[in-house]
Parts: sequence; C-alpha cells; structure tokens
Amino acid sequence: MSRTKGGTVTHRRHKKVLDAAKGYYDRRSRTFKVARQAVDKANQYATRDRKNRKRNFRALWIQRINAAVRSFDESLTYSRFMGGLAKAGIEVDRKVLADLAVHEPEAFNAIAAKARDALA
Amino acid sequence: MKTFTATPADIEKKWIVIDAEGVVLGRLASIVAMRLRGKHKPTFTPHMDMGDNVIVINADKVQLTGRKREKPNYWHTGHPGGIKSRTTGEILEGAHPERVVMQAVKRMLPGNRLSRQQMTHLRVFAGAEHGMDAQQPESIDVKSMNKKNTRTA
Repeated sequence: MSRTKGGTVTHRRHKKVLDAAKGYYDRRSRTFKVARQAVDKANQYATRDRKNRKRNFRALWIQRINAAVRSFDESLTYSRFMGGLAKAGIEVDRKVLADLAVHEPEAFNAIAAKARDALA
Repeated sequence: MKTFTATPADIEKKWIVIDAEGVVLGRLASIVAMRLRGKHKPTFTPHMDMGDNVIVINADKVQLTGRKREKPNYWHTGHPGGIKSRTTGEILEGAHPERVVMQAVKRMLPGNRLSRQQMTHLRVFAGAEHGMDAQQPESIDVKSMNKKNTRTA
C-alpha cells in the first residue's frame, strides 16, 4: 500500500484560516501561525459582540425614548414614563416605542399622554 | 423591523442661542453638550454628527456656586519651573472669559473625534452680541427651565 502524505490536508486547513484572515494587517493575513491567532481572537470578539449587540440596541432605544418623552412633556422623564406605562397596562416594548418616536410622533405622544395620565 | 439609523439626508441642524447671564456653569454646559450631541432628538444616532449649532452669549456672566471662583487652574509651559495657575475668576475677568464655558462643555462631551467635530458647532461670546443673526438662531431660556439653574449660593 502506498504511503499517504499529509501535504494536501495541511494545505486545505491552512487555506481555510488564511481565507478567513483576508484584509488583515501585515503578517496577520499572510503567515498561518499569526493568522490563526488573529482569526481565533476575531471569532471570540464576534461571539461576545453578538450578545453585546442586544444590550447596545436596547440602550439606544432607551436614549431615543427619553429624548421623545422629554420633548413631549418637560416634567416627564424616561423612568417616570416607563412607570406610567406599567400602571396604564400598556405592554409596548422599547424597540417599538423608539420606532414610533421616530416615524409616528403622534402615536408616540398619544401613548406618552396615557402614561402621564396613569401617573396622576 | 430594523432600528432607524440617521443618514446625512435625515439630519437637520438648527441654530440656537442661549443667554448665559446668571446661569450656573455646569447646568448650562450640560444643556449645551446635550444639544451639541443631538441627544434631545428621537432620531439620535451615536456615530452621526446630528446636534444643533449652539451660540452662547454673555458667557462672562455665568454663575459659579460655592468657592469655585477662587479655584486655581494649572498648566505647564514646558520650561523648568514653568507651572502656572490662574483662578477661574481671573479667567472670567481676563481677555478670554468665554474659555470657561468652552472648557466646561468640552469636558462634558465624550473624548472622541466626533466630539471634537461637534465642538466646532459651539460659538461662545463674552458680550451680549453674537453677530450671527443671519443664521436666525432660536432663543432658548435656560433660566426658566429649572430654578436651580440660577442658584446663587
């Protein structure tokens, strides 16, 4: 039986890593050893940031809702507004509220008015 | 549903003018910083320059509470023994009183490139004249927003 050499397998394995490292700086895109480290780290960041993305967007929605609430009524803040929503039994989530604030200001103000009345 | 992201076409930069006479410095700076960043808009997008252009007049007449007028500000000239200081009160009575407001606002903004760009949209004037009537700035009354804005003690 003829001897099996590992060359093609190694080449394929290396190519996979180097392809993933395309566009990286200097040896990070050319040398297998460095590229493997760079790709491993990049994957770690990607895994972490898929989770962080959810928090980042929620934070952005909150900032937008706060801006819309404060321009609707100076005495109302994000915190008091959310408290009012809970009392009024309105279960619209922050993502939709932020979208309403941008695209449907009147609808948002109607909700804000209900939240304010629930607090009084 | 995709979260809205402002593009340059969505951004409308207004001009506003604020009279700083008798207004507490930090409270003024926080309002100015918020306006410069655009955090008062429901379309706020963190990486876009979408704040208003802000004009501050009477910046030499801002209110400082406590003993902050006597607080020294230090800098180093680079020469040996070149440490110098000037109190905030001295700066307010000196040649460039508007720098007090400038610095207060600058330090309330994040330390990134975008905030340096946003600082260029702030104009601070010591006197009551701003000479920017062509921009038709809208006046904002900070004094009446909150009674603490004009605290004297």
